[in-house]
Amino acid sequence: MRTIVYTSPFVPPEWIAAHGVRPKRIQPEPRPPGPASAPSAGMCPYARAMVGTLASVADADAAVLTTTCDQTRRAAEWVAMTGPLPVFLLNVAATWQTPAAVRLYRDELLRLGRFLVRLGGSEPSHEMLCRTMAAYDEARRDLRRAVGTMPPRRANDAVATFDLERPLDASSVQPAPAPHAVPVAVVGGPLLQGDAEVFDIIAGAGGRVVVDATETGERGLPAPFDRRRLQDAPVMELVEAYFGTIPDAFRRPDDALRAYLEREVAAGAARGVIVWRYLWCDHWAAFVPRLREATGLPVLDLDVSVDKEHLGRVSNRVQAFLEILT
Amino acid sequence: MSGSPKRLSIQEMDLLCRRQEAEGAPMAAYDGPLQRHVADGDRRLLHLEFDDSAAALRLWNFLLTEEDRLHQARAAGTKIVGTMKDLGTVPVMAYSLPDVIAFYPDGAWWTPCVMELSAGLLGLAQSLGVGEAFCPVRAMLGAFVNRAHFPIPDLLTCSVGATCDDFSAIAQRLESLGFPILWWEMPHRRRPDPGEPAVVLPGGFTAPESQVALVRSELERVGAALQTLAGARLGDGELAAGIREANRVRSLLADLRRLAYTAEPCPMPALEMLIAEMLAIHFCSDRAESVAVLNGLLDEIKRRTDDGQGVLPKGAARVFWVNPVADLRAMNLLEDCGGRLCGTEFLFSHALDPIPEDLPPMEALARMALADPMVGPSADRAGRIVRDARVFGAEAVVVSRIPGASHCALEGAVIAEIVRTELDLPVVELEVPPVVDPMLPTLRTRLEAIAETVLKRRNV
Repeated sequence: MRTIVYTSPFVPPEWIAAHGVRPKRIQPEPRPPGPASAPSAGMCPYARAMVGTLASVADADAAVLTTTCDQTRRAAEWVAMTGPLPVFLLNVAATWQTPAAVRLYRDELLRLGRFLVRLGGSEPSHEMLCRTMAAYDEARRDLRRAVGTMPPRRANDAVATFDLERPLDASSVQPAPAPHAVPVAVVGGPLLQGDAEVFDIIAGAGGRVVVDATETGERGLPAPFDRRRLQDAPVMELVEAYFGTIPDAFRRPDDALRAYLEREVAAGAARGVIVWRYLWCDHWAAFVPRLREATGLPVLDLDVSVDKEHLGRVSNRVQAFLEILT
Repeated sequence: MSGSPKRLSIQEMDLLCRRQEAEGAPMAAYDGPLQRHVADGDRRLLHLEFDDSAAALRLWNFLLTEEDRLHQARAAGTKIVGTMKDLGTVPVMAYSLPDVIAFYPDGAWWTPCVMELSAGLLGLAQSLGVGEAFCPVRAMLGAFVNRAHFPIPDLLTCSVGATCDDFSAIAQRLESLGFPILWWEMPHRRRPDPGEPAVVLPGGFTAPESQVALVRSELERVGAALQTLAGARLGDGELAAGIREANRVRSLLADLRRLAYTAEPCPMPALEMLIAEMLAIHFCSDRAESVAVLNGLLDEIKRRTDDGQGVLPKGAARVFWVNPVADLRAMNLLEDCGGRLCGTEFLFSHALDPIPEDLPPMEALARMALADPMVGPSADRAGRIVRDARVFGAEAVVVSRIPGASHCALEGAVIAEIVRTELDLPVVELEVPPVVDPMLPTLRTRLEAIAETVLKRRNV
C-alpha cells in the first residue's frame, strides 16, 4: 500500500485512506539526518526541519503539504525541486467566510483525490468513503476521551501521531496535579519530534497544562462529523469538519482562533499562557499581543529556534514565568 | 542642462528647480525645490543623488506630495480606498469609479528610509507587538496609529492567502486595532493538472481556469464594496475604461523600461526607474498626472538616447535587480559600484504587463491579479526573471532580500539556483535594511564584486 506523509491538521487522513492509500502524519525531526539543503538565513526552524525530514523520509511515496504559511508553501516547492518525493500542495484558503473559500477547499480535496488515484490509489465509492470517515470519527472520539486522562506530553503525542491503524495506548492516566500547580494554557504552532518535552518542563516548573492549543494538540482536531450529513454529502461534511472548524492563526480574520482561546482558557481557569512559536513565524508572532488583549493574562512568548540547546532555553524561561505566576 | 547628464545632489537639484522657475518653464503645481521635503522630515533626500532633469524633479515632487494629495482629496469629499498587498489590481477598479482614489498604505514601508527612522513608525509597530522579525512594511501599522501620514481610508481591502505572511499578520493586527478590513482571497497559483482547463495569464504564466474564476468572484466582491462606497455603478463599461487608462500607464512604462534598460550608455539612473515603476501600482494617487510624469521621463530618455548621452559611463555592468529595496540609496550604490540597472522584478511585474482588453473586464483583471509573481511558485518567478534578463541583456542578477520577509529565505535560493543554471550569470544575494548606512561597506563590497565579475567575464 502506498503511503502519504503530511504534517498539517488541515489534511484529512480519512480522505487519503478512503482512496486506498495509507496516511501518515509526521512530526519533523529537529535535526534530521543528512546534509541540510535549505538555506538557514531567515528560514523558520519548523519549515527547515520539515524540508530536512522529507528529504530523508524512508517509507513515503508522496507528501501533502499545505499553503497555510509562506514558508511551508515555499518549502513544498523546495522539497519537490531538490528531492525525489512527489509533493502535493493543498491550497487552504486564509479567508473562510465566503462560499468561494469553502468551494476552494472542497475542490482541493477532489484534486488531492485525483493525485492519489494517479499515485496508485482508487476513487472511493460513496459507501467506502462514509465507512472510512465514520471509522476515523469514532477513533477520534476515543482519542478525545483518552487525552483527557493522559499526561499532557502523551496527549500531544497521541494527537500528533493519530493513526487509525495504530491502537491508542490509553493505559497511563493523568497523574494527580501537584498541590498549588499553576494552570496554564499552551498555545501556538506545531511541535517538532521530541519537543512535547515542553509539557514535562512545565510540570517540573510547577505548572499544570489545562489547555493544549498547539497545532499538534487538541486544537488541530476536526469537529465530530454529523452522521446524517456524512451519509448525504460526505465530502462537504469533511469540508465542514476541517476547513469549517479548525481555528488557526493564518485565517483571516482570525476571529475563530480568538474565540476558541478565550473559551478554552476561561474553561481551564488558566492563569497564564505559554506561546510556542518558531522564530520567523509571522502569524503567531503577531497573534501574541492579541492573545494578551483577549485573555488579559500574562503571556510567555517562546520564540523557538531549533538547535541543541533550545529546550534548555525554553526550560529557563518557563521556570521564570511560572515563578512569577506562583 | 548643458553637457552630459549626471546624478545631482539635492542642492544641485534645487538649483535646477530655481533655473526652471526663472526661465518660466512649465511646471506642475506640486513642483518645487526638494529641500522643502527635507524640512518636512524627508532627510534621506540629503543622501541621495538624483537624475539631472526637470522630468526627474517632477517625478520626485509627484512622489513626495502624495500625502498632500490624499489629504486634499479627503477635504474635497473624494472617497479614499486603502488597498493592501495586491499591488496593482484593486486600484484599477477604484479609479474606474467617479470621485474615488486608491493608495497603498503598504507604501509606508519606505517612510523609515525616507525619514531616516525619525518618524518612529517602527518603534510604534514594535510597541504594538510587531517587531524586527517582520519586514519593514510594519511601518504601516505605526502610520495608521499615529495618523500623521496618510488619511485613514474610507475602505480598506487586503488580499490574503498566497501573498506574504508578514503582511497578512500585520494587517490582522491592524484590524484588531479597530480598522475594519475587507479580506479577499488570492489562491496559490499552481500549474494546471493534466487535462485541466487552463489559461495563459498576462506575462506568460499559466493557471487553471478554476483559479481565475475564484479570483474573479473575489474581485466581484471587492467591486461590490467599491460601488457601495462610491454610490455609483462599476459596470463592464466603466471597468473597461479604467483598464484602458491603466494600460496607458503600463504602456509608457514598457517604453521607458525598454529604453532605460537597453540603451548604452545608461540614459536614466536606477533610482528614478524604481520610482517610475512604482507609479504603475496605484498611480501615486493621481492617474492622469502619473501619465504626464511618465511622458516627461520618456521624452527625456528618448532625447538622451538620440543624442547618445547617458548618466553613467559606457560599459557599466548590466545588472538585473530582484525585489524592491527598503533603502532607496541602494540604487545609487549600485551605480557607484560600477553597475547599472538592466531589468527589474520588484514583486509587481503583473502591474507592468498590459491587462487584456479583449476579455470581459473582470476576467481580465482576475487573470492579471493571478499573474502576481509572489502568489505562484518561486520557480515561475525565476522563469520570468530569466526571460526578462535575457531580453534586457543583463550580465548579473542581484537578489535583494527584504529584512524579516518570510518569503525571501527560500525564494532567493530558488531564484539564484535557476538563474545560475539557465543563464550562467553571476548572482549575489544581499539584504537591504531601511537605512543602509551602517552596512555600506559590506554592500559596497558585494556590489563591487559583482560588477568586477561582470567586467572580467566580458574579457574572457
